[in-house]
Amino acid sequence: MFDRIDRLMRSIAAFMAILGGLVLIAVILATVASVSGRALLWIGLSPIRGDFELVELGTGFAVFSFLPWVQINRQHASVEILTMHMGDTANRLIDMACDLLMLAIAILLTWKHWDGTLDKLAYGETTFIIQYPIWWAYASGLMGAFGFVLISFWCVILSAKALLTGRNQSHGETVH
Amino acid sequence: MTNIDIALLSFPVLLVLIFLRVPIGLAMLLTGIGGSYFINGSFLMIFAQLKNLTWGTFSAYSLSIIPLFLLMGQFATLGGMSQALFKAAETWMGHKKGGVAMAAVGACAGFGAICGSSLATAATMGQVALPELKRYGYSGELATGALAAGGTLGILIPPSVILVLYAILTEQNIAKLFVAAFIPGFLAAIGYMIAIAIYVRIKPESAGHRDRAPYSERFRSLIAVWPVLIVFIAVVGGIYGGIFTPTEAAAIGAFGTGVIALFNGGLNSSTLKTSILATASATGMIFLIVFGAGVYNAFLALSQLPQTAAAYVGSQGFNPWLVMVGVLLLYLVFGCIMDSLSMILLTVPIFFPIMSALDFGLTPEEFALWFGILVLIVVEVGLITPPVGMNLFVINSMAKDTPLSATYRGVFPFVMTDIIRVAILTIFPGITLVAVRMLY
Repeated sequence: MFDRIDRLMRSIAAFMAILGGLVLIAVILATVASVSGRALLWIGLSPIRGDFELVELGTGFAVFSFLPWVQINRQHASVEILTMHMGDTANRLIDMACDLLMLAIAILLTWKHWDGTLDKLAYGETTFIIQYPIWWAYASGLMGAFGFVLISFWCVILSAKALLTGRNQSHGETVH
Repeated sequence: MTNIDIALLSFPVLLVLIFLRVPIGLAMLLTGIGGSYFINGSFLMIFAQLKNLTWGTFSAYSLSIIPLFLLMGQFATLGGMSQALFKAAETWMGHKKGGVAMAAVGACAGFGAICGSSLATAATMGQVALPELKRYGYSGELATGALAAGGTLGILIPPSVILVLYAILTEQNIAKLFVAAFIPGFLAAIGYMIAIAIYVRIKPESAGHRDRAPYSERFRSLIAVWPVLIVFIAVVGGIYGGIFTPTEAAAIGAFGTGVIALFNGGLNSSTLKTSILATASATGMIFLIVFGAGVYNAFLALSQLPQTAAAYVGSQGFNPWLVMVGVLLLYLVFGCIMDSLSMILLTVPIFFPIMSALDFGLTPEEFALWFGILVLIVVEVGLITPPVGMNLFVINSMAKDTPLSATYRGVFPFVMTDIIRVAILTIFPGITLVAVRMLY
């Protein structure tokens, strides 16, 4: 049961990351199309209007959806020079504390980003050129934000399990 | 407690968190949020900022260049360009004493021209060059040392993710920073080759012999390198010429390397997935740090510490050059234990205003470019200095029969050339600035 949930969590994180990556590739293609259009004005092509707004929309979505993947694989940059000389239990306690703090921050960010989304919805702000409502963009980030909370919560469970059983948690990659 | 006290107190708190292995981005977020609570007496202000700060950071147009450069590096790895570069360098230089190791450094420099990350460069070139170095009888010590050092060229030679962040933090022109990085990056490659030449003369048994390649083979090998050249010219030339914004150039570079990888059969649905996940890991990690640094630096700015410190240092009549040496040494020491990106994001907002207040006889813009390149080099030295040098770990994990201690010994001469280079570039700012002065 536990392993099945674990696999599910890793699959969710991987799915979101890949979705974000595909959006990033779409951003690349749109930018290349826009630049080509600008270069080929003389044969009647034209750049994509407001292309940079699309870039912002795409990267914002992508970065949000990458967060769960970073968290589940524990790929955050950290300094291990002191802790690597500490015992296993101390390290598992630190893991647990870090995961709890990360969960707290994930919840805070998601909560405030949710508020921000509602603000943008209420004011009906749009972007300058394409004039898509900004709350759409904000809302697109919510998927990754919710995923980040979910995965951060799961990481707390994993650390707690490691702390209680005295066995290291697997840091393996997801099953593709 | 004054606001300055709160800001000063935040340093030890932040450092303790970081040394307790709290992820650096998280540590900066916690300290920044906590600090602004103590200054304002409530969470109201910081919470109101967070409503827009997350999306604002993650979707910032200037930062969108980072995932694009990272994806470009992934595609470049798949495209077989690392093999082509190494082959070309090796047929031209391999017959010299230590030539195959020099070729590995040269190929790293070439790969660095299309890849903005040191770890990716080290990993990619390591895969290609380590087996060849072994085949030609090079010792594990020299082979891993040369490749770990060569990997740092990934970020010293533009495009470079770190320079992008520095440019954003200090509001400098990315194109000019890339131009300024060019000569120091080239000197780095030359320095590493000289280190190899001296090394194999002191320890002749550490390098084997390779026969001279005929000229027909040499020129054939050059032809295979053309995609690298085209991508480099499109990306860096495009940025420099003002034809594209840096983000557009990165998109074009990622597109170009992707197409090349597709033609070489390196890109399929499974490698695409791996590339995306690797990009996701690195991007997510970087953005959490950027975001954390944003919150932390906003708190520092609120406390007015950077301005106060800059005014203090400026009015004390310190010798600017001594301060510079002190700052660079600090970077070298911290680089041994912390990753380069976190260091830049954490320190530049404090050190840059302080250093700008000192007089080095340069215009403000020239100072910013020169300081950026110096900082870039010293934090990169951290990637190849024990105990925590990421490049050393990456290369060593690929060379199964070489113990880590041998890699530590092998990289020593390269660290020496780095330090000599930093000294030269510090004493003669003109070397860094000459290209910018000529082109702009």
